[in-house]
Amino acid sequence: MTRYKRQDPEITRRKFINAAMGGTVAVGGISLLSTLGTANPVFRLTRDKMPPLKGDILVHAEESKEGQPIKVSDLSDQLVRAWPMGKGEDGSNVIRKGDPNNILALYRFPKGQLIAPTVLEATVDGEVVAYSDVCTHAGCSVSDSDQGDGMKCPCHSGQYDPKRGCIVTGGPPPRALAQLPIKVEGESLVVADFFLAMPYPFIAEAEWETFKKEVEDQLA
Amino acid sequence: MNQWLDERLHISRLNDKFLRKAFPVHHSFFLGEITLFSLIILILTGILLALAYEPSNSLVTNSFDPGTADKPNLIPAAYHSALKINAMPFGDMLRRIHHWTANIMVAAAVIHMMRIYFTGAFKKPREINWWIGMLLLIFTALTAVTGYVLPYDNYAYNTLKVIYGIAASVPWVGEWVAQAAFAGKFPGAGVIPRIYGYHIMLLPGILLALTGAHMLLMIKQKHTQPQYAKRLAYKKIVGVPLSTQQTPIMLLLAIMFAAIIVLFSAFIPVHPIEFFGPPSTTPINNIKPDWYLLWVFGALAIIPSFEVHLFGGLIGAEFVGAIILPTVFLLAMFAVPMLDRSKDNMYYAENPTNHPVRLAAGVAFMASLIVMSVAGYKPELISSGILNTANANTVLWIALFLVPALSYFGVMGIVRGIRSLREADERERGAFSPADD
Repeated sequence: MTRYKRQDPEITRRKFINAAMGGTVAVGGISLLSTLGTANPVFRLTRDKMPPLKGDILVHAEESKEGQPIKVSDLSDQLVRAWPMGKGEDGSNVIRKGDPNNILALYRFPKGQLIAPTVLEATVDGEVVAYSDVCTHAGCSVSDSDQGDGMKCPCHSGQYDPKRGCIVTGGPPPRALAQLPIKVEGESLVVADFFLAMPYPFIAEAEWETFKKEVEDQLA
Repeated sequence: MNQWLDERLHISRLNDKFLRKAFPVHHSFFLGEITLFSLIILILTGILLALAYEPSNSLVTNSFDPGTADKPNLIPAAYHSALKINAMPFGDMLRRIHHWTANIMVAAAVIHMMRIYFTGAFKKPREINWWIGMLLLIFTALTAVTGYVLPYDNYAYNTLKVIYGIAASVPWVGEWVAQAAFAGKFPGAGVIPRIYGYHIMLLPGILLALTGAHMLLMIKQKHTQPQYAKRLAYKKIVGVPLSTQQTPIMLLLAIMFAAIIVLFSAFIPVHPIEFFGPPSTTPINNIKPDWYLLWVFGALAIIPSFEVHLFGGLIGAEFVGAIILPTVFLLAMFAVPMLDRSKDNMYYAENPTNHPVRLAAGVAFMASLIVMSVAGYKPELISSGILNTANANTVLWIALFLVPALSYFGVMGIVRGIRSLREADERERGAFSPADD
């Protein structure tokens, strides 16, 4: 029988290697994860990505007439899509289509048809009304319904009633389309203020308020 | 030449280990091969398409319709290059082959998976390969979806917007994840290069690695043996060797498959990008994803709206329908091998009617996916008058539970009938056969 005196090192070889490997994996993993951050580019809020602002002129979004100011006489109970057009930093006109969520839906209904919860003070004479045209569900552009009244989203068939503040009348959307306050100045329609409620893609009022403030700060 | 190679590479060991692998002779064992051939055709046509494709969404003048000097007709470079591919000789044909093969690859993979499930081939010791197969299915679908976006026509653009919205609907981290995945707020300046990278590098790399692992495991563990092998030579591997008997069969099948796809593509046009036009604000009526994602789309269409705020995050219908629900379904599929308690290794493919619960549960599972896919046609069902706006959701929800339940009990009934017939047959045979058989 061999006499074997067991050495008692502070740490066994196996323990050391396991700890070293664990440490390497942890440090390596975290550093690799941090490089994933580079996948997310910095967002620069340029003028063409700003939301519809006070004083913006509404222009046609349809390709053949893009950029032409919309007159009240162009509108009917059929949807007309519009972009807000504002001033760039050099004073030239900028169509704010850098953010596709700025697309607007315009309607003109006979007097008396627009009812609450539409904010009538934010319409033109209770006849012309503007909404965000972006479905609050998955962000598709909403169209006139192909069966009867109202608006329908082609993606998951969410339905809205533009005569009643674009409340949801069917399908999955969680919120009404946001109404945009407008007024007439001369011939053209002009934005009077920010959206009355948060538009897509915002999901919390606080974020929308912060964003409005950020826009105002940058313009000031 | 064999000897020359053998002296240097010991090729005979490779021969013994891999090239003599026995393949069972049964037509259902070609489904996996068809999936593999699809992958090869996709890689070949994909390389050719990548040579002519321009991965950029910055705007260029449309050379087919330049517009005027003061109002040039600007379209995204990716869409422009897709138009150019369509205009080059066989270019449209290449796109069609690539597109249809992608659809067939998913279909072949799904049917392959059905074969595995219904014959019990996922059981011990092949659980790992079932899981790898599940990953292959998921990554195939992801590759197909990213490929969908690349032509960057209005259809692709609208699809991408929905995909971005789904990614952003994850509570707490969604917006960051969506921006990181799709190069900034939609539509980020780098979104097409990003998706191109996914589609031609990241996802195919993962697919190829998983395919390699899938096949190595299959060679190591051997195919499940068809029932006839049990009668022929019990517990022996029966089949034809890869080299040389299986190889000509495979080659014939591959060439015939390629020929059928080309024939198919010659007559059935693919997604017409000229018709949809460049990305615009005009929505596309009745936009739908490809058939294998239609069930998720249908689920989104029938889940009513709700919002739950939880610790500053928002859980909405979109997150539940497009992320939670598919995850639950996929997890159920991942869990399939764990539901089997047998301790013994499994050699022989089972007759599905000997396992009625598994068969019926599988059929019910597929029935629920089909009902959800039908729910994806909700707008069409309403406009054709079969359903109306008021009752559509209720009817579809009831169908979602009723149809799978009915198909479960229907299958159980049919299996019982088949088994009693079989038992009657055996009794008769026993009665009439001579005793000293």
